[in-house]
Amino acid sequence: MTRLTLIIILFAGLPLLLCAGEEIPQLAGEPYVYTEWETFYAEENGLPNDHIFSLRADGDRLWVGTEDGLALLEDGKWKVWQEKDGLPFKVVSGIAVSQKTGDVWLGLFGGGVARFSGGRFDHFHQLNSGLVNDVVYALTILDDELWVATTAGVSSYNTVTGEWEIFTDQNAPMEEIWCYSIDSHGKRVYVAVWGGGILEWDVETKHWDAHRDPDHEMEIDLYRDDGLIHIITTSVSFRDDIMWASTYFGLSRYDGRHWRGYTKVDSGLISDFINFAVGRDKNTCYCSTDLGLAVLADFESDTWVTYKRDADDAEHWTAHLMVQDKIIRSVPTKLSLPNHFIICSEFQGDDVWIGTGHGLAHGIGKGYYAGLK
Amino acid sequence: MLGYKKGLLAAGLLVMISISASLDSWAADRVYIGEQKCRACHHNAGQRDQYNKWRLTKHANAYAVLAMPESQEIAKLSGIADNPFDSPVCLGCHATASNVEDWELDETFHIQDGVQCELCHGSGSEYAELDVMRNPNAAMMAGLKMPTEQDCMICHKDKGSHLAVLKVKKFDYKMALGEIAHSGKGGPIPEEPKKPKKLIDGPKYVGAMSCAECHRGAMMGYAVSKWRLSSHSKAFAVLGTQKAKEIAKKRGIEGNPQQAEQCLKCHSTGHGEQAGWFTESFDVAQGVQCESCHGPGSEYMLEAVMLDPIASRESGLWKVNRETCLRCHPKEVDGKPFDYEKAVKKIEHFKKKDKTASAGIEYKTPFNIAVSRDGERLYIACEASDSLIVVEAASGQRIAEIQVENLPHGVCLSPDQSQVFVSNRGADTVSVIDSQSFAIIKTIPVGDEPHQMTTNLEGTRLYVANAGSDDVSIVDIQKGQEAKRLSAARGAWGVSRSSDGESVYVTNNLSHFVKFREPCRSEVTVIETKRDFIDTRIVIPEANLVQGVDCSPDGEFALVTMVRTKNLVPMTRVIQGWVMTNTLGVLWKDGRVDQLPLDELDNGFADPTDVVITPDGKYAYVTGGGIDAVAVIDLDKMKSILKNATDEERKNLLPNHLGVSTEFILKRITVGIGPRGLTVSPDGKYVYVADALDDAISVIDVAKQERIKTIDLGGPQQITEERMGERIFHNAEVTFGRQFSCHSCHPDGGVDGVTYDIEPDGIGINPVDNRTLRGILDTAPFKWTGKNPSLSRQCGPRLAVFFTRIDPFTPEQVKALDRYICTIPRNPNRFRLDGEMTPAQRRGKIIFERTMDNSGKEIPLDNRCNSCHPAPYYTSRDVVNIGVISELDTDLEFDIPHLNNIYETAPYMHDGRAETLEEIWTRYNPFDRHGVTNDMTKDQLKDLVEYLKTL
Repeated sequence: MTRLTLIIILFAGLPLLLCAGEEIPQLAGEPYVYTEWETFYAEENGLPNDHIFSLRADGDRLWVGTEDGLALLEDGKWKVWQEKDGLPFKVVSGIAVSQKTGDVWLGLFGGGVARFSGGRFDHFHQLNSGLVNDVVYALTILDDELWVATTAGVSSYNTVTGEWEIFTDQNAPMEEIWCYSIDSHGKRVYVAVWGGGILEWDVETKHWDAHRDPDHEMEIDLYRDDGLIHIITTSVSFRDDIMWASTYFGLSRYDGRHWRGYTKVDSGLISDFINFAVGRDKNTCYCSTDLGLAVLADFESDTWVTYKRDADDAEHWTAHLMVQDKIIRSVPTKLSLPNHFIICSEFQGDDVWIGTGHGLAHGIGKGYYAGLK
Repeated sequence: MLGYKKGLLAAGLLVMISISASLDSWAADRVYIGEQKCRACHHNAGQRDQYNKWRLTKHANAYAVLAMPESQEIAKLSGIADNPFDSPVCLGCHATASNVEDWELDETFHIQDGVQCELCHGSGSEYAELDVMRNPNAAMMAGLKMPTEQDCMICHKDKGSHLAVLKVKKFDYKMALGEIAHSGKGGPIPEEPKKPKKLIDGPKYVGAMSCAECHRGAMMGYAVSKWRLSSHSKAFAVLGTQKAKEIAKKRGIEGNPQQAEQCLKCHSTGHGEQAGWFTESFDVAQGVQCESCHGPGSEYMLEAVMLDPIASRESGLWKVNRETCLRCHPKEVDGKPFDYEKAVKKIEHFKKKDKTASAGIEYKTPFNIAVSRDGERLYIACEASDSLIVVEAASGQRIAEIQVENLPHGVCLSPDQSQVFVSNRGADTVSVIDSQSFAIIKTIPVGDEPHQMTTNLEGTRLYVANAGSDDVSIVDIQKGQEAKRLSAARGAWGVSRSSDGESVYVTNNLSHFVKFREPCRSEVTVIETKRDFIDTRIVIPEANLVQGVDCSPDGEFALVTMVRTKNLVPMTRVIQGWVMTNTLGVLWKDGRVDQLPLDELDNGFADPTDVVITPDGKYAYVTGGGIDAVAVIDLDKMKSILKNATDEERKNLLPNHLGVSTEFILKRITVGIGPRGLTVSPDGKYVYVADALDDAISVIDVAKQERIKTIDLGGPQQITEERMGERIFHNAEVTFGRQFSCHSCHPDGGVDGVTYDIEPDGIGINPVDNRTLRGILDTAPFKWTGKNPSLSRQCGPRLAVFFTRIDPFTPEQVKALDRYICTIPRNPNRFRLDGEMTPAQRRGKIIFERTMDNSGKEIPLDNRCNSCHPAPYYTSRDVVNIGVISELDTDLEFDIPHLNNIYETAPYMHDGRAETLEEIWTRYNPFDRHGVTNDMTKDQLKDLVEYLKTL
């Protein structure tokens, strides 16, 4: 018997043993549930394309990156820029807004980076600048520096000095150079490397730290809370001193000392295949999965709200209130997106936005509250 | 199979990485060890005496001569504003290892040794060992170079500046080689019995190089350089000459005079003392050094001691008098009488401030003016004198002149009038001056080349247009520091705040990059002051050199000065505004842009530079820098012309209609020479114009529309040849219809960023990118084709047959113009740090100097970066074909451009096809003909670019 088989048997049998004396968990309080939703599509609402790749709230405005252009929702009206309008490349895969200058930076999937400032697009790409690669997944702004996650490493661009820096396996602990996501906070930059875990760059010491899966297992997570759940990471988000990292094998939460891992086996995650996760506060994280939206609503009580269409022919999605992996109650919603494959999400005040492979949805957070009530 | 391929790939990568790493370490290990280390083996009897020969050549004094007044003059003619001792360009040929970091210099290295062994033979640390040197191949592998004629010519090619000042003969390579011949091989260091050396307690000899640490600058009278140029410093080396040997023999001294006690007594320092009297830093080969006359220095050399005359005497500093000299200079030596007074004068080296330091005529060159709210005071930024002059407006009396920093350009007042802000475009700072005490309160670092400025209405923020870094610094006035930087377009220049205070308009001198054979397109960047974000970017079609700006009092429009340059085919358009249409731009509140020519038929209005609108909104005044005049615009008439025109006429007819200007320009008022900035008094009665090349302010009475007086700013009355050239450069009299001057295409000696299709060689062929004039004299030949051997030819006959359709320049004018162009200074390099590089720059330098590609294959000598771009100008001044000939080019080879401050002269290549430095190689070097670059990884190319910016 191989070690792996033994492990599978042990883990498969364990829930059966536990079920014998298990009590059904109760909600410690009511999490907020988005029931009011509106949806947006290219044909009906003027979006340039239904494939929504990136979202960024900027005060009351919402920037939307699609497969064929950039859109801005402002005062209830959509404004669109495509290549014919000067957008340097049609696929907008990342958006960052500088709170300092108001400039909007766009990651272009195959086209590098663009700065959208005062109506002018400035194009930076691997042929005309120090950007390491044109396949850009995400970007973030830290003070005067733009940080770009690309398929061939990370680039930083100092918008004041004009200096570029490149980080690859040559000068950073990247076991892979496929950088899927990037976030920044304080003096630190966090990078999700597909196959390389999470990297953390300290701007002051100019030093990289690496977070990887300590059990080194690729098929399963051997020890749930020993560290990052898997090295195939897809996104990283840092809020209220908590780092959230999504993988194709579950979600990880890190408070600087302790790790907590989540998979669909023991939590409200609808799927372990998470495209994108973003923290809302230290207890709350929204996971965009291939099967719907999974929200860890309260870390302490392990309370989740998951949004998905229960049946293929159902008109609307249903919200399931869960504790750990148990559904406690289900609530109907007005969300009617046809596609469960959620690629991105964003908060705007009390509201939430989700972008899918077929349309954009807006959850209206009337009376929203954090945690449980 | 796939696995096999992967394995190969991995192995290949490993090889590449290891080669790359070994290249890095090989280069990183090499340091300059100084001539003293070379001397250990190359200063012995027989065929091993290379030291003495070198020490008596000009090479050994190459650094010291930079203290001579001629060097200051040469530097000036080379566009070098720095002291030659601080200039990388001068040091590139007058010192060894001038372009390296501090860590690359061993403790035994002294820059004072000028051009020593390692400048020609390479840094010595890795080949200096005897075992390595015995094997020529091993030595070469370790970095030993055997210079060729080409290497010598990097520094010895004719330089206009040196020829002009030194009147030197043309360099004869063979003759020069004979002069420095130092054949022989060197050999092992002679073994000397090791004696334990215990230093004595009292004063010890420390050597001239220790003294040189402090006594080298202008403030110290260049003492060490003067000593180095004197016979004293060569006193030991001359003992190695045949003549010395003969003299010694005559006096019955046997053997090597450099070891003979009788000779060394007066040809070296401290001879006869025990070993314990000499510290490690002492070097006997430096001859008669400071301590020969001033006494052993270990106890008085400390600055605190030296500054105290009593303490220094007590610590062993000798008093020098006639007797000191007479110890070795008896009344007569070998039949030659010794004249003490004359000798002392000859070696004079104690002046605090040397008279030889440049003390030329200093003009004021006022550029911009601010006027106080009560209209009583004018604040004038003067570029040439690095000062702010304050005058009383009514009387013209000068109240104060405050020295600020390098090249002050813009000036404005805080809303409460308590502070004056002056932008220093050569120092990248803003000086904050107390308007009452005239004290400089603070100096605030901003972006590169700050130009004009304004504050917000509240006086909390200062907006500074940075022409060099293409952005706007927003300064928190209370904190006295830059709060943020907003991206402008290219060459951010003029600034004006809207009347409601909600917007700040920033002009951009250079066009956006445009596609080949597309017309210019310039931008006015509008900042919303509420959040200090970019609100909009107004694009002005077919325009460049957008400089002056002012907002109308009613908030309906802003006016900008600009030029419609016809750089495309054809350049000369009789019915389309001729070659360069000098224009007034009208930017309406609703985003509409109008353009109206300031030129009249056959009477151009060259170089419109600044504009101001009177407080009542009736008139605007525009300076014509190239015609010494100010145009008075009747704004009602201007608006009426536009209102009565159709959209089609406004778009396509009026911008090039040279007959329309007389309808809205009331008159042209003649002012002083080279007018630049102007301002209007708050009551609207007077307009003040900075007559830059007259060192004066013209005062225009708005009611009379006449210049009523001038205010003299106190510049010198004498007009030097250089000033005359500056005036010619900025004047359009020589061009047909007075449409443009030299300055029009080379604003302030730089570039207008435009590619021209100049017609004499045929319409539609040979498009060329404009090139900077800053510091170009020594980079001949000129033109992209390299066909003009001198500036005189470039500016003389060439202009006469093409640009000048009336009279050519007189020989005196050409001479003056050349003189001025030579002295246009380079900007300080913004990417070069003192003594060290960033890691990226350091890596880039290794790539620039590499001899092997990433696969370990040797790069042919003529395809290495530093073969065609050797320091200090980073051009070998040849013409080459780098594989970028287009179907429009009739020449097959182009001039190798110099790379000094290359970052500020985009676009690149002969026809301006590359917008960025990266594109030169990512797009336009597919076959590795412009250096071997296709093997590079992205980060290597990025590092190379970071290094290039430092040159």
